[in-house]
Amino acid sequence: MSLLSLRDVTVTARLGGIDVELLRRVSFELAAGGVLGLVGESGAGKSMVGRLIAGLLPDGFRVSAGRVMFDGADLLGQPAAAVRRLLGRRIAFIPQEPSAALDPVRTIGWQFGQHLARLGVARGMRPARAAAALAEVGLRDPAGVLGRYAHQLSGGECQRVLIALAFCSAPALVVADEPTTALDVTTQATIVALLRRMQAAHGTAVLFITHDLRLAHDVCDDVMVLYAGDPVERGPADRLFTAPAHPYTRALLAANPRLTGPRTMLRALPDTMPGPLAFAAAPGCRFASRCEIADPACAASPPVWRLVAEGHDVGCAPACQAGLRRVAAAAMPAPANAGVPVLRVAGLGKVYPGGWGRPATVALEPVSLEVAPGEIVGIVGESGSGKSTLARLLVGLETPSSGTVTLDGTDVTAANRANDARRRAALQMVFQNPQSALNPRHTVNQLVTQAMEVARAPMAARHARAAELLRAIGLSPELGGRYPFQLSGGQRQRVNIARALCATPRILLADEIVSGLDVSVQAQLLNLLLRLRDEMGVAILVISHDLSVVRYLCDRVLVLHRGRMVESGAAAEMFARPRSDYTRALLAACPPDPLPVAEGMPT
Amino acid sequence: MNPLSRPVRPHLSRAQLPAQGWAGGLLVLLLGIVAAAAPWISPAPPNEMDLLAVLLPPDWSGPGPHHWLGTDNLGRDVLARLVWGARIAFVVAGGAAAGAAVVGTALGLVAGLLGGWTDWAISRLVDLWMSFPPVVLSLLLLVALGAGLGNVVLAIVLVDWTRFCRVLRSEVMVIRRQDYVSAARLIGFGPLRMIRREVFPGIVPTLLTLVALEMGIAVRVEAVLSFVGMSVPADVPAWGQMIADARGDMSAAPWAILAPIGAIVLTVIGFNLLGDGLRRRLDPRLLGRT
Repeated sequence: MSLLSLRDVTVTARLGGIDVELLRRVSFELAAGGVLGLVGESGAGKSMVGRLIAGLLPDGFRVSAGRVMFDGADLLGQPAAAVRRLLGRRIAFIPQEPSAALDPVRTIGWQFGQHLARLGVARGMRPARAAAALAEVGLRDPAGVLGRYAHQLSGGECQRVLIALAFCSAPALVVADEPTTALDVTTQATIVALLRRMQAAHGTAVLFITHDLRLAHDVCDDVMVLYAGDPVERGPADRLFTAPAHPYTRALLAANPRLTGPRTMLRALPDTMPGPLAFAAAPGCRFASRCEIADPACAASPPVWRLVAEGHDVGCAPACQAGLRRVAAAAMPAPANAGVPVLRVAGLGKVYPGGWGRPATVALEPVSLEVAPGEIVGIVGESGSGKSTLARLLVGLETPSSGTVTLDGTDVTAANRANDARRRAALQMVFQNPQSALNPRHTVNQLVTQAMEVARAPMAARHARAAELLRAIGLSPELGGRYPFQLSGGQRQRVNIARALCATPRILLADEIVSGLDVSVQAQLLNLLLRLRDEMGVAILVISHDLSVVRYLCDRVLVLHRGRMVESGAAAEMFARPRSDYTRALLAACPPDPLPVAEGMPT
Repeated sequence: MNPLSRPVRPHLSRAQLPAQGWAGGLLVLLLGIVAAAAPWISPAPPNEMDLLAVLLPPDWSGPGPHHWLGTDNLGRDVLARLVWGARIAFVVAGGAAAGAAVVGTALGLVAGLLGGWTDWAISRLVDLWMSFPPVVLSLLLLVALGAGLGNVVLAIVLVDWTRFCRVLRSEVMVIRRQDYVSAARLIGFGPLRMIRREVFPGIVPTLLTLVALEMGIAVRVEAVLSFVGMSVPADVPAWGQMIADARGDMSAAPWAILAPIGAIVLTVIGFNLLGDGLRRRLDPRLLGRT
């Protein structure tokens, strides 16, 4: 018998005057001791499942059909007090933001004490129990950690504390909602390993909610893929990722850049997932509007579930059974021929002076690099590696303590008016977060032509250029009159890129521009960068923590670790034969590719 | 229309004011019209004395010339003085709020944008300034400057600029850390264009809200100052003065004192509701939740 089972669960909310089914007929079984992954892009409803189990649906959301059974009892039918007794004891949660989930004004020990008190542990026993729990999750100094506050711990340590908290009641089920999203790659790997160790040791079932296919494949026994509130496919993780049956699952895999095998163009889905307000207009398959093989019947009739193989079924209209087209993956465009470097950085470093007894902080030890026209160079590193410092030094937002920056043969290191102008003309930056990088009070047209505003260009010229830029980045010029909050995340990031392109720079500095975006949108943007490079010959410096993104885009790579450059060289070479220990550790920390490499990507 | 030349304040032009904001706005508008149209709608000259008709109660009987709200102890028509008094109230409210807004915004921008020692100096100045009780400070200023309408406005500006400076400084600091400010700098915006195009539009909602609230405060302060005779000359009708004049006969002729009090209360409520409504509508934290 399964520990947790959802049977045709539908969650309905009243939005804009109409009833919207935010989750539609979600069914799954999670056996005791099993790990089930819920995979989907943002807005797919995967976190809603977690909230449903916790009884934390937002106001106005209700379960309009279906049953949630936990350990043989109906979770929805029980009185609230009975459910509360289950939560934190038999059902535990591991949250997404570890540092935000701990009370900042109480010590870890105090918070542990509260939890243990609730579990009925005698006062005298609590410190020992807490220390034992912390030791079990691999924290080095358990007694010391108990006396500390959340801000004195790193993100990874906080997550370990929360895992210890979750497991100390020996729960039957742990719901982990994106438990590693806020963490660095190497920390993610250790946390995932810990979670799996704890799960195996305690025989706990885990509901693992994530947007990361690679991670889901690595961690889970079974996986269910959600799209816009609809479950579309479920099955054993290995099968689902090697023989995906639903067009959406296949598209997700095709949009995920790989760490091994030949580099081929990603196939990005067009558009974005429909929002909840569009659900009512789609009584049938919600994926139909983006589906390559959809026929008109798909949009009208709800998906039908059918078995593909043992334990693997797919919710897709009967039309899908007609068969799947296979499209050979397109080869990557060849990198432009390297010419005279457009950017030359020699010994660039940054030291923040100390004072009053504080030692000086070395943010970046001297780094040298060269970028040729049309070349894409990746800068890889985790948080605190100095990659953002390097970016800020390059664009002139910070003054370097040593070294020179040479653009097109001219030394522009010294901060003065003439150098600023030269820097601006040759080098532009795309900021990480379009939410804060686009002034909410300007229209798209105003934003993308800001560079012309400085030059006092006439309105007509600006308008024409705005339309040109929007077309170049794949947006309709009609969007020019919109404000940023009226755009989707992917569209905003395109506008962000267009603005940097307005004055036709020779180098684009892209700082983590796809982090926080969904896989399908990420693939669109990565392909956009490649196309811009080919069409405009612009060189791109890609700053990223995501090795698969760097491998997909870059010709050459620079690896930073704690403010020091540990490796640099051709990307292919680095991924095949990493030379530094840190690079090897970084590569090992990435969950492996889900697909056997030899097989062509089905589409 | 060329989309590039659209107004920069989408959230204001598309503003849906909450009901209380509308109520406040209407009240303020009504009082503003009364003040502007005083020469035409006033039932009698405000200073015309009729010593044979002192302390007449309000008279609502039939058509013909009446003292709708009665007369005061010099036989002057209360309604006429009330209507003319609205002019003084609005002149002071507008002038003082505008002045305090200009001084406070300028210093707030400087402190928020430059940071460092400048910010420290301006912030300490504000702290020092705010440690004086406002009424005492304005009385002191008026003793030093001398009475008169212009000096009343000046005194309120000098007392209340700190409110603008303090709030806007923190707002500017939040905006300054946004990536779009860095982005504009990298694109080549100079400091003035940066303020005009990127920073200032962001503080406009707060500024408008503060101005509305400040106007209410200015009306109150002017009433206090004219009550103690530090404001307009005796021949100019002002609400505070009316209260002071009617104080002696308060029990015999309560209408003469209740009328100006009511006017002050209504005006302040109007401005406060408007300010509160604007704040709720334009709160930057709610931006984009359309």
